[in-house]
Amino acid sequence: MHTTPEAAPGQGGSQTTLVLRLAGPLQSWGDRSAFNRRDTTPHPTKSGIVGLLAAAAGRPREADITDLIGLRLGVRIDQPGTLLRDYHTVSDYRGRPLPQAGVNAKGIQKPTSPAKDTHVTHRYYLQDAVFIAAVQGPTALVIALAEAIRRPAFPLALGRRSCTPTQPIALTTVTDGTLEDILASQPWQAGQAVKDAYRRQAQQGPQPFSPHRIDLAATLDDPAGDDTLQDVPRSFAPRERGFTTRRIRHTWLNIPTGLAPTATTHPASDTGGHDPFALLGW
Amino acid sequence: MTYLSRVRINPLRAASRTLLANPRALHGAVLAGIPDTNPDDRILWRLDTDHPRRPQLLVLTPSKPDWTHIVEQAGWPDAEGEHYAIRDYTPLLAQLAIGREFAFRLKASPVQNTDRPDKASPHRTKTAAELHHRSYRMAHRTAAHQLAWFLDRTTRWGFTIPAARTDTPAPGLEDPTDDTPPAKEVRITDRNRATFTKPGTRTPVTLTTATFEGHLRITDPGLLQAALLGGIGPSKAYGCGLLTLAPLPSTGPR
Repeated sequence: MHTTPEAAPGQGGSQTTLVLRLAGPLQSWGDRSAFNRRDTTPHPTKSGIVGLLAAAAGRPREADITDLIGLRLGVRIDQPGTLLRDYHTVSDYRGRPLPQAGVNAKGIQKPTSPAKDTHVTHRYYLQDAVFIAAVQGPTALVIALAEAIRRPAFPLALGRRSCTPTQPIALTTVTDGTLEDILASQPWQAGQAVKDAYRRQAQQGPQPFSPHRIDLAATLDDPAGDDTLQDVPRSFAPRERGFTTRRIRHTWLNIPTGLAPTATTHPASDTGGHDPFALLGW
Repeated sequence: MTYLSRVRINPLRAASRTLLANPRALHGAVLAGIPDTNPDDRILWRLDTDHPRRPQLLVLTPSKPDWTHIVEQAGWPDAEGEHYAIRDYTPLLAQLAIGREFAFRLKASPVQNTDRPDKASPHRTKTAAELHHRSYRMAHRTAAHQLAWFLDRTTRWGFTIPAARTDTPAPGLEDPTDDTPPAKEVRITDRNRATFTKPGTRTPVTLTTATFEGHLRITDPGLLQAALLGGIGPSKAYGCGLLTLAPLPSTGPR
């Protein structure tokens, strides 16, 4: 199995992990889309979380974010949520035709010809999703970030300015353990309706299984990982936007749900849920 | 010593067709599983058909029975798994205590007795004249009457039915004229009318049954034990009157 280096090279010192709970009515974590179609990935991106931390710390867009990029990130999907497509139109409030991508000799965008008055854009959101994100790095930096999350300098958002988070965001800080162990030790953060549905599914499904544990998907920063994501920001400065890749590893974490295990193992389909033998020491 | 048995029935076999269709035939098959028949012994049974292709026969017997003949004729004799299960009933009787709650199921034949029926059939009139003092025993045939029959008698059997956990109306939406009693945690899951003849007679036996399911709360363990072992209501030979208890469906921590 994979082992995590306790301290990244060049950073030294002790490592601390900050555990964040990313939950809200809407989230949108774009990683590659541009123009009129804005996708969301099914889990938070590193650029989104680095941006959230930078906003909490009050760093302006042009500020250096090298230390934040160096944090190791692990994300656990507690409640995947559902996809929402927002049909959205854009037009000029003065009634003028929209500009095209090409520019004239003065560097000003030319109007569309034939004149186009409305852009149709599609923005995708995750509805009702809950994630656990763990960021690991030097203790001093992470403690400062945890404090900043509790008193953010700029409003925090879940990938998009319109997606406000629900409290609490900063769950806890952990000083020891690998990223994977820390993610696996956090309690299940799903909502009550999702937990109830999981218990019903566990008890009534075609193949009954016990609801006291659940497998959750997780994505971890790992230099030896077998997949890459291009979502590491170089800078948030408006004219210097750019992204590099990071190596990641996908895994499943088996965590306790806190729900009671099912009492009877007898198939309920033959008895209609009424099993008199359950009271006779079966 | 009392035993509860459960026998798997294969409904596609010829013998099963007879047993499933005719309560009298199944009564005979059940009695054939008990070697020493004492006339005082009360043998209760019920046919549960929750899964229509896997019906199950539940039998409560005072002595240990043997169901090999039912398995051979109406089961899966060579199949894997447990053909029938026989368990000691004492652990359940030891759990009866005031205030405990269980899920229950009861198939019963709700009846009323009257000496002045509105419309008596010629057969009824004839038998009543022959038997002089016998009143008419008539089945309750509507669900409302069957449920009322059941709820009227629960304290006599040593338990009560708790009120159903339904939400109260929002303030201002109550109906002030509504004086119906609050609903109880019981419902009728099955109603049936079976007709069959006994050998040597031409008058058919008509059996009107209702299956009750719900929650009960014990008020008198002694009465409930008598009801569990002695059965409830008439037609006990024909698969009525066996009250079975099960754990309450767990709602889990919230």
